Amino acid sequence: MTLDEHLRREMTRRTLLGRSAKGLGALALASLLNDGLQAATPENPLEALGALGQLHFAPKARRVIYLFMSGGPSHIDLYDAKPKLKELTGEELPDSVRMGQRITGMTSGQSKLLMVGPAYPFKKYGACGTEMSEVIPHIGSVADDICLVRSLHTDPINHDPAVTYLLTGNQQPGRPTLGAWSAYGLGSVNKNLPEYVVLLSGGGGQPLLARYWGNGFLPGKYQGVQFRSTGDAVLYVSNPEGIDPAARRSLLDGVQKLNRMQLEAVGDPEIATRIDAYEMAYRMQTSVPELMDISKESAGVLQMYGAEPGKSSFANNCLLARRLAERDVRFVQLYHRDWDHHGNLPSELKRQADQCDRASAALIKDLKQRGLLDETLVIWGGEFGRTSYSQGAISANNFGRDHHPRCFSIWMAGGGIKPGMTFGQTDEFGYNVVSDGVHAHDFQATVLHLLGVDHKRLTYRFQGRDFRLTDVAGNVVQQILA
Amino acid sequence: MPRLLLLATAVAALALPRHSFAEEPAAAPVDYQREVRQILSNHCYACHGPDEAQLQAGLRLDQRERALAALESGAHAIVPGDSQASALVQRITSTDPDTVMPPADAGKPLSEKQIATLKRWIDEGAKWQDHWSYQPIERPAAPVVKDASWPRTPIDNFILQRLEQEKLQPEAEADRSALIRRLSFDLTGLPPSAADVDAFVADDDPDAYERLVDRLLASPRYGERMAQKWLDLARYADTNGYHIDNHRDMWLYREWVIDAFNRNLPFDQFVVEQLAGDLLPNPTVEQKIASGFHRNGMVNFEGGADPAEYLSKYIVDRVNTTATVFLGSTLACTECHDHKYDPFTQREFYSLYAYFHNVPEQGLDGRKTNPVPSMRVPQPEQKAQLAQLNRQKAEIEKQVQAKLAEFEKIDVPNTPAALSPTPREYVWVDDAIPAGSKSSGKGVEDWGFAGSPQPVLSGNVASQRRAEGLSQHFFEQASQPLLIGEGDKFVAHVWLDPASPPAEIMLQFNDGSGWEHRAVWGENKIDWGKADSPSRRAIGGLPPAGRWVRLEVDAAAVGLPAGSTIDGWACTQFGGHVYWDKLGIVTRMPQGSSINDNQATWELAERGKAKSSLPEDVQKAIKIAAAERTDEQRSAVRNHFIRHHYSQARATFAPLEQQAAALDKQRDEVRTAFPEVMVMEEMAKPRDTFILVRGDFRTLGEKVTPSVPASLSPLPEGAPANRLGLAQWLVDPRHPLVARVTVNRYWQQYFGAGIVKTSEDFGSQGDQPSHPQLLDWLAAEFIESGWNIKALQKQIVMSAVYRQSSRVDPAKHTRDPENRLLARGPRFRLDGEMIRDASLAIGGLLDDRIGGPSVAPYQPPGLWEQVGFGGEFSSQSYTQSHGRDLYRRGMYVYIKRAMPYPPLATFDAPNREVCTDRRERTNTPLQALVLLNDPAFVEAARGLAQRIVGSEFSSPPERVNLAFKLCTSRMPRPEEAQVLLAIYDEQRARFEKDPAAAEKLLKVGESPLPTSMSPVELAAWTAVANVLLNLDETITKG
Repeated sequence: MTLDEHLRREMTRRTLLGRSAKGLGALALASLLNDGLQAATPENPLEALGALGQLHFAPKARRVIYLFMSGGPSHIDLYDAKPKLKELTGEELPDSVRMGQRITGMTSGQSKLLMVGPAYPFKKYGACGTEMSEVIPHIGSVADDICLVRSLHTDPINHDPAVTYLLTGNQQPGRPTLGAWSAYGLGSVNKNLPEYVVLLSGGGGQPLLARYWGNGFLPGKYQGVQFRSTGDAVLYVSNPEGIDPAARRSLLDGVQKLNRMQLEAVGDPEIATRIDAYEMAYRMQTSVPELMDISKESAGVLQMYGAEPGKSSFANNCLLARRLAERDVRFVQLYHRDWDHHGNLPSELKRQADQCDRASAALIKDLKQRGLLDETLVIWGGEFGRTSYSQGAISANNFGRDHHPRCFSIWMAGGGIKPGMTFGQTDEFGYNVVSDGVHAHDFQATVLHLLGVDHKRLTYRFQGRDFRLTDVAGNVVQQILA
Repeated sequence: MPRLLLLATAVAALALPRHSFAEEPAAAPVDYQREVRQILSNHCYACHGPDEAQLQAGLRLDQRERALAALESGAHAIVPGDSQASALVQRITSTDPDTVMPPADAGKPLSEKQIATLKRWIDEGAKWQDHWSYQPIERPAAPVVKDASWPRTPIDNFILQRLEQEKLQPEAEADRSALIRRLSFDLTGLPPSAADVDAFVADDDPDAYERLVDRLLASPRYGERMAQKWLDLARYADTNGYHIDNHRDMWLYREWVIDAFNRNLPFDQFVVEQLAGDLLPNPTVEQKIASGFHRNGMVNFEGGADPAEYLSKYIVDRVNTTATVFLGSTLACTECHDHKYDPFTQREFYSLYAYFHNVPEQGLDGRKTNPVPSMRVPQPEQKAQLAQLNRQKAEIEKQVQAKLAEFEKIDVPNTPAALSPTPREYVWVDDAIPAGSKSSGKGVEDWGFAGSPQPVLSGNVASQRRAEGLSQHFFEQASQPLLIGEGDKFVAHVWLDPASPPAEIMLQFNDGSGWEHRAVWGENKIDWGKADSPSRRAIGGLPPAGRWVRLEVDAAAVGLPAGSTIDGWACTQFGGHVYWDKLGIVTRMPQGSSINDNQATWELAERGKAKSSLPEDVQKAIKIAAAERTDEQRSAVRNHFIRHHYSQARATFAPLEQQAAALDKQRDEVRTAFPEVMVMEEMAKPRDTFILVRGDFRTLGEKVTPSVPASLSPLPEGAPANRLGLAQWLVDPRHPLVARVTVNRYWQQYFGAGIVKTSEDFGSQGDQPSHPQLLDWLAAEFIESGWNIKALQKQIVMSAVYRQSSRVDPAKHTRDPENRLLARGPRFRLDGEMIRDASLAIGGLLDDRIGGPSVAPYQPPGLWEQVGFGGEFSSQSYTQSHGRDLYRRGMYVYIKRAMPYPPLATFDAPNREVCTDRRERTNTPLQALVLLNDPAFVEAARGLAQRIVGSEFSSPPERVNLAFKLCTSRMPRPEEAQVLLAIYDEQRARFEKDPAAAEKLLKVGESPLPTSMSPVELAAWTAVANVLLNLDETITKG
């Protein structure tokens, strides 16, 4: 058998395996053998390039953009209108409502849990008339495009475990995030960029941990790749000073030639994989700076997002998310910090809303106008909600709210989501779910479903167990599917 | 069959290596162990396995009696010898979706082949065996092989027997340069030097290989290499891991691990010391450090988190880690329920938990310092510093004693208070409270001192206070009390604000034991003391407002007769706005520094203090009347007075005391610099342990005591019911798992995969061993060798199977793509740390110091800051190291769990949040970017360029040869050399045209740039070196 035959056979074997053994390796071999072969759009809509090989259902969404609002934005002050709570301000939360819910160490010492109404008035937005706060008028302006879920609930009451839970299905570290599962199961549809990209914004507030975009027990290549607004957009993407692109190409050709010789001599297909990885690295050296350069966007677009070239902001990241979607990156996760409003909620909430409102809405509008919204699932939300009672004293324009896992609001839009609706109801205190509760695992199951994946069948054997994102639970929320 | 099923079957078949090789002879009976158990486990145990709570239809398939017994329905799942009569077969072959097993919604249908296997197994009598890994380890004889010339060690017989069965030929021995490269990476984590390669290639001695092995095993780099792997298991890191993820000090533990490997501590001792070093009789400091193994887990202090929840998580992590590392078992499931696949119950989980539940630690900890328990460990150089300081201190003490001896001859005034002839006013408080005193009173830490525009009588400030109701400020514990003589009067000056006069004012005095001495003016509003007694002496009406008024209080009238002292004073008011200034006493007694003119006066003052700072013996003696003291007591008091207080002796002793104090300060500094390390300790009274229902820390179930899983070997006789007993159980030679799991892990280190590929799971869901007999042989040898770790390594690397060429033969690769049968030598990418180390070594930059705190290499700015909480917490912003620290081995790079060092993370280094047994080896574009552009690797390329330009070789071909050899341990083939020479020529021409580019390239990295070399030449070679450091071969062990 010649090397070429051998490699072809190898490729076939790995393709049969759904590239589960060495996913990228298969792609690499494919392109090594046939440079014209693009690993782009699969002809069969059910084909997945990742470990799954085959999707379980026809996908509604081709990709996900998840705007993660770190810290826990207050559902009561943004999305879940509670007029009664306004009247009840200053009164104690009835035990019959609290029902023994755990309280964090930050308010467990308070002698009284006094309720406090929303900081800002609500109004009806759009033809659907969804009620949302006045502080998010732009999000209000896309009310007819989004599905507002008011009945999400989760288990943990502190940031670290709550973010970990919502994204990995488990409170303790060690498991892969939603994005990593997607990358693993579905593979990349992009030849020039990673399949799971992470963008950070906002300073102060709760810390972030790389675990929030980690691969857990999955191989390291499934971890989210941070794209940054300052310095190298992707770490080490820039050549060292003194090596210009032409020199890099020439040196790289040398590496590739020598690696090919070694492949001839040794025959290890891993060398072929490496050769292809170096080609993609080279392409990234061009594609990443090109992607990150928003200066050529029209003034209108920049203004729509509130983005400013050269700055680092949530607005810029939203615009980048659209650019990543255009380039068919599978999973884009934004983290925006500082939604943890234990005190000074009215002013802090307003400040955060001002940073996020315009750009979040712009992303929806922009995707829509480019025909991308239908195939892109956009998610907006944090790790939990906030209490209907105040942390600390209540004054005319100052109060705070503690963490609240029993109910909170998120919204989704685009690929496969029914637009212009609200789902789920909470009680008049915004404390308990009254109907159509969506547990964190249900949310995860639904996201995977939209990507064409049965959450029970996307598994990875680790320590003898076939782990999955939704652990042993999770039901797809059928009512919000388009 | 739908495509997905086919696919699943294909995957399953490949996961079991035996199926992908030669066809089974048709006659061979089904082997339960290898063929049946895994089907039952993966497809049936979830409902018919060890988890009794989930058991369906009363059928349990993991135990023979239960599987053969009558079911709840009366039917029999398995009728040995009769598959047709077996309900199990009826159900798995049923076409009715309601009755077919496994149920469709379980998502785990059986393949035709699996069904056939089960049928045949039942027809053959349903022979049962207990799971292989729980059986005692028996040493098998090395099998006889046809080609008796190939084996070099018994290991080879096991390997070759299988290859012969499969009709596969082993590869020839690798060439010498490949062997030394493979051995060097495997045993030291570093490439061989060019000289070592040459020497080994030229060494014809038949013992040359063994000598090389022995030399590498004796290298201190060996300990680092082995420790690197162990630290993944120990989840060693430099930060606490949860939430804010701040700094912790654990590097002494890392150092211990390196040292333990280097001194070849037997594995049983290695285990005992790490699990229970603190519980050994008279543990050494090193053994206590070793016990930090189970303190490496993450620790939290997130605001508002529940300490009980996290305490529980720390212990769960210890149980899970213990299970992975030593048992190769996955106990994590049993935190919440009985195991689905393996014979472990939830009760057993918490019985193990009980061993780790008695550490005096806190659920939330680590905010500022190491989480407790933690200890400080003086390092050798610090011990030397201390000894030196102690010697200096002793020298000073000698001088002090000599001077004191001189004072023996001098008459020191020691008569009851030498009174001044007339009373004088002594001001105690003017612009400051007396030295040493502690002030208090709400909001007046500074005693309310303020100056103009408020009224001030004396000095620059007066103290003031505005109050609603009763309010005061006071100080106490003045180091120099007021001495009270006959007829003495306290004096204070007060200014009442006419706009807001108080209802009452009061002065209050502390005699060292209490405040029951009060003088009041004005209305009777202050509710303290007994009227008309020293505890509340009314002096008169409220003084006039709007001006300074002098108040006087007869000391005796408030219960402070001659001979008493006060060391505290309070200014009190009821409402209003009051200023106080110039507080003191009219007295004939010596006060202030003149107290120290006379021993008796000094003693009087000392006795009046609430809190004495005197040494204990002096304190005791001073309370005894002078005449009644022993000689010893007398001289103790006298010497102390002279040495520390006597005004006439200050000039003699003060300089000596200052020197002594400076030494004390230095000593403290050395002591606080002792590195800290978290360790295990046992609480005097153990905590009670309960089963946590569904793993929820709030729901306590039955109480349990420490014990080990019943399905494994029993606890050794006399093993204590603590961690030491647990450790003794693990290293008991009868233990079926520990030796197997350990040798398998070492095998994995050399060959890329273990004999059991799922090295972390030896249970029924794990992979079958590729060479079960070899595994047992190695395990038995390991135990018999006295758990000799180095001997085990030597045994493996001496084998013929290890020494094979790693060339990939296409035909073999098709048969055995993962090389499970080892018909060729191992070839795989190096770990991230080894890639870093190799490039530093090749570039001549590697720093060879062993141990010490972690270092911070070049890292793009902002990574930590962007995710960090900041504020007062440590490890929130990155401070890069400089100098030699930049070039330390990868294992010393600071591990921040929330933001691991990117170059290592990119090469699959785990983030150390949890125990990692196997690193995945991926091959990605981001890795290419690291090697091409990370300044550390660019600098290493420059280092390599400097080495070759500075070498004895001057012609480009010779230089190419040297550079290539440094990177790959071999000479380049002519066509390879040609490629590199062409690059050199091209780059040299480019840099000649653009010397500025050369200068820029050479500026990367902080290592000094030799001025003697031509920048253009150096830059051209740096570019060539950049190519070489990126070669697949450079980062591969082949």
